Parts: sequence; C-alpha cells; structure tokens
Amino acid sequence: MDENQSSNRLISGMNFIILPVIFCILILAISAALVYPYANEFAEMSKTYFTDRDIDIPSDCYDIFVPADGDSEEPEVKSVMDSKPQEQRTIPLSSISYPYYGQRLGELIVEDCQIYASLYFGDGNNELNNGVGMYTGGYIPGYGKTVMIAGHNNTDFNGFKYAKKGQKVIIRTYYGTYTYEITDIQVKTSTDSSAYDFSLNYENLIMYTCYPFDELNLTPYRCFVYAKFVSGPVIDKND
Amino acid sequence: MSDSGKKFNIKSLIYGFLSFMLGFVLFLLSICLVLRLTFFSQDFMLDSMANTGYYEMVKDELCDKLKNLGHASGLPDEFFDDFVDDIDIVEVERNYVSAFYTDVSTLVDTDTFKQELMDAINVYIDEKNIDKEKAKEENLGYFIDEASSIYVKSVTVSFFSILANYINKLDSPLRMTEIGLGAAALIIAAIIFFTNRYVHRRYRYLTYGLGGGFLSVIVIPIVVFASGIIPKVNLTTRSLYNLFVGYFNSMFMYFWIFSAILLFLAVLCFFVYRTKYLKAIGD
Repeated sequence: MDENQSSNRLISGMNFIILPVIFCILILAISAALVYPYANEFAEMSKTYFTDRDIDIPSDCYDIFVPADGDSEEPEVKSVMDSKPQEQRTIPLSSISYPYYGQRLGELIVEDCQIYASLYFGDGNNELNNGVGMYTGGYIPGYGKTVMIAGHNNTDFNGFKYAKKGQKVIIRTYYGTYTYEITDIQVKTSTDSSAYDFSLNYENLIMYTCYPFDELNLTPYRCFVYAKFVSGPVIDKND
Repeated sequence: MSDSGKKFNIKSLIYGFLSFMLGFVLFLLSICLVLRLTFFSQDFMLDSMANTGYYEMVKDELCDKLKNLGHASGLPDEFFDDFVDDIDIVEVERNYVSAFYTDVSTLVDTDTFKQELMDAINVYIDEKNIDKEKAKEENLGYFIDEASSIYVKSVTVSFFSILANYINKLDSPLRMTEIGLGAAALIIAAIIFFTNRYVHRRYRYLTYGLGGGFLSVIVIPIVVFASGIIPKVNLTTRSLYNLFVGYFNSMFMYFWIFSAILLFLAVLCFFVYRTKYLKAIGD
C-alpha cells in the first residue's frame, strides 16, 4: 500500500514537469500550424534581408558599401619604366585578377593637364574622394571596349580645363601601362546618354567631370573628354 | 473501472484541457503584450534610438554624405562640420517617429534645412569673397535639392514607413485581442479555481497551465538568440544596423521578462499546492 502511494506521488510529481512540456509542444505546434503559410513566405523573404555571415561594421565605417580607411589593398602598380616591351603584347584574361569594387587599380596621368590621380575601380564617394573612379558597368583597360572614368572637377580632374586634342593620357595598372590620345572634348548634361556608348567593339576611353570648372555648388553639366587607344597590352578574352 | 474512477478520469481530462487552454491563452497574451510594449510603443522606438547612439551616428553619416557632396561642389569639409552641428537631429528624428505613431503627415520637413543651408552658403560666399559668377543661383538650387535629398534619406528609417502602416492598422485589433485574451485567461483560471472541490487541485491545474505558458514563451527568445539571426541583418548603414540589433535585442528581452513572471507564478502555485496537499493528507 505504501509502495503504491509513493508510486502515485512520484507520477503526480512528474506531472508538474511532463504536462507543461507536453502543453508547450502542443502550443508551439498549433501556433506553428496557424502561422505556417505566412511564416514560410516571411522566411523566404527574410533571406533577402539576412546574411549567413557575421557582420562587423567597423566604428570608422558608416556604410557597408564603403570600406573603412586602410581596408583597401594597394596592388603593386607597374611603373612606366617597367612597361617597355609589353605595350604590344597580349595578356591572357585568366592571368588577370579582375579588380573588385573600391580597389586601387593604378594611376591616371595627363601630364599636359597636370593630372596625376590614383585610379580606383568603382566611382562611389570613397573612390572619388581618393582619386578618380572607373565605372564598373564599363570595361577595364586592354579589354578592347569602352573604359569610363569619373573625377571631381575641383580636385583631380580640375586640370581638364586645359584639355586639348592630341594630349596623351597614360593609365598605369597592375597588369600593364596604357596610352590614349585625346580626340574630343564635349560638354553635355549629366542625363545625356548619347555621351557614351558601351557597345563599341574597340578600345576607347571616356573621362568626365562636372562643368564648369571651379564652380561653387553642383552643376547639371558634365565635361566629357574622349580618347582613343594608342598602346598597351591587349587582354586575350578567348584565353 | 468503477463509476467514480471513470468520473475522476473525465474530470482530470477536462481540467487538463482547461490547463492547456490557460497555457495557450497566456502564451498568446504574452506575445500581444510584448508587441504592445515594443513594436506598438513610440517610447520604445525613441528609447532604442537613444540607447543605440542612433542620433549621433545619423549626424555623423549626414555630415559624411554632405562632405562627399561638397567634394563635387567645391565646398570644403569644414563648411559641413559647422553646418551639421547646427541641425538638431534629435528633434527631427523625434518628430519623424511621432508622426508615424500619431498617424499625421510623415513627410520630413526640408524647408528649414534648405533655408539654413542657403544662408550658410551665402555667408560662406561673402566670407570668402567668391565671385558671384562662380556661384550661380541655378547651381545653388541644384546643390540644395541634392543636399536636401541626402538629408531626407539620412533621417528616415528604412522600412519604418511600411511597418508603421501596420502599427496604425493593427493598434485597435491588438487592443481588443489583449482584452479578449486577458478575459479568457481570467475565466479559465476562475473555472479551474471555483469548480474544484479540493483546494490543492485548483493550484495543481493552475501550475500546469502556467508552466506550459512559461515554457512556450521562453522558447521564442531561446530560438532567436540561438539562431544568431539578429546580428546578421543586411543593412547599409551602421546607424540602422545598430538600431535594428538594439531594437530587437530589447524586444526579446521582454519575452524573458514575461517568461520569468509566468515561472514565478507557476512556482508560487506549486508551493501553495504542496502546502494544501500536505495539509489535506494530514487531515
């Protein structure tokens, strides 16, 4: 009898753990069944808003698309002296590590206009604050298509107020040195899409900046400087 | 099985079901109350903004973006240091958030910003003796519109307008749901309490329901924190990221609090049950 009583007490005591656990499972199962159609949709949508990696935004970085100071690597840029016989050579595409957004690609030099600027891949604020930026929707030098570079008119591209046809433009990158020659200078509005053509199948360079020069405040006009390819290693796209 | 035994089992099943319903109702009520105290609370949003340093970061970000605009406009960085310091971001943000919760116009007022910027530029032109030909009114207007657009983007909170729409629409239904669930919890507890002949059994069934409610509520923050999903949100700026993480961490803190309350009540009922049970055996 005593054994039965103690056994009943034990079962009764276990109920204080087992029943709440069963209730919890049932409550969550019912809740999950009720919200499943919406939760499934939400879970799919949330994949857009959540990443599977840890996010660590440095304290000196306000925008995740803009690397903090010192984050960007400085690739080794071949000097003009190093590039003597390579202008006419072909380099396989596979041998080039394609630049990433914000990477320093090299230098842009227009001696006649006193322009000596660092060249970055990407034309966001960070790139234009540090030099001139290559539009990522265009092509890199040597690819045989349109290369487009932007710069501020009060800093790096201020010298374009002295631009004239026939002046040489040198782009030194980590895979080779390219020379172009200015062929035309035009002023157009910032929304004029006829100012550029990315479907051209020959190497050409477009550099642009705000216009007029030395103006205070923003202007809706842009000065486009067009240049033709003269020399530099050609990227073999078939490789 | 004897008739009294069958009767006892049916009664146990009914009270077991009532305990389960009590746990379920308490679980739903806890969720509704957490939403009321967080998602639907203007003060909670403003506290989160203050606690995560949102105002300071927005100010820095705005300054940074305006400086970038200045680089394209011939204005030095120092110009914007002085200018942004004069903008009361805290007041602008508070008005912006309040507008959503009070269902009035949520458009950010840019008139003051534009006027202050124009005044600051005119002072700068005079101070630096800049040729008026180099600061044409057309370009000034273009610049101020761009700066104003940056200002609006900086002070607005992404997705908040979408969420606030739900907040306004669901406020009344949520209130009715809270009242309904609160009443249901009281009615179920009253049925358990007043229809049981033995006092210790009243507390036993209440303990089951409160225990079930406690476990269900505590599972939510455990799952969320264990998954580590909150810090993995993709947001473009540090201010928004910190606000989001701080906001949801605080929100789930309320789940801990509600589960602690339910646990406390469950333990209390259990001890009352034990006392009454031992007394009943003794009698």
